[in-house]
Amino acid sequence: MADTSIAVTTVVDARGLLCPMPIIRLAKAMKELAPGQLLKIQATDRGSVADIPAWAGSTGNELVEWHEEDGVFVFLLRKGQGG
Amino acid sequence: MAEKLVIMVTHGPDQPELASIPFSMAGGAVASDVEVVMGFQADGCLLVKKGVADTVAAPEFAPLGKLLPTLQEMGVKFLVCSPCAKSRGMALEDLIDGAEIVAAGRFIAEITSATNSLAY
Repeated sequence: MADTSIAVTTVVDARGLLCPMPIIRLAKAMKELAPGQLLKIQATDRGSVADIPAWAGSTGNELVEWHEEDGVFVFLLRKGQGG
Repeated sequence: MAEKLVIMVTHGPDQPELASIPFSMAGGAVASDVEVVMGFQADGCLLVKKGVADTVAAPEFAPLGKLLPTLQEMGVKFLVCSPCAKSRGMALEDLIDGAEIVAAGRFIAEITSATNSLAY
């Protein structure tokens, strides 16, 4: 199990935003965090389910978990050491 | 930014989806820490004429009027084909701030120094 005991530092509300704004908001918000801090992002674009894990992989951040809540995709990410 | 992507755009406001997709791809790339250069040829040039982006929105894509300034702020470069601009009566002062008018040599230099390129 991933350790989610650290509190989420930032919540990004990307609900209703169209491609590619969710990932742009995510990238900007993640730049403000320190390595190890957690970010939660909510999105309604179905593409996010593929997009956000791929983005995390290519930018050195960790996707801790994601789930769907009433049509909203919720992702929890941990800032990596690199960015 | 080790990776660099060049995106060539040849469709204009009369084809909003083909005009919007390259900007969305640019957004995905800059969000992933990839350096992006966009090149505008043929009717693609019209997209970087002052005021035109505000008129272009394809269904389910972020409107260009919102996306274009975001890309500029994130460091995307906009290069416009000189003969394409001239034949459409466009000079540097007609373009959005920061856009450059270039010719084939500069496009090729950008493409050969990039890790990937896309053309729309």
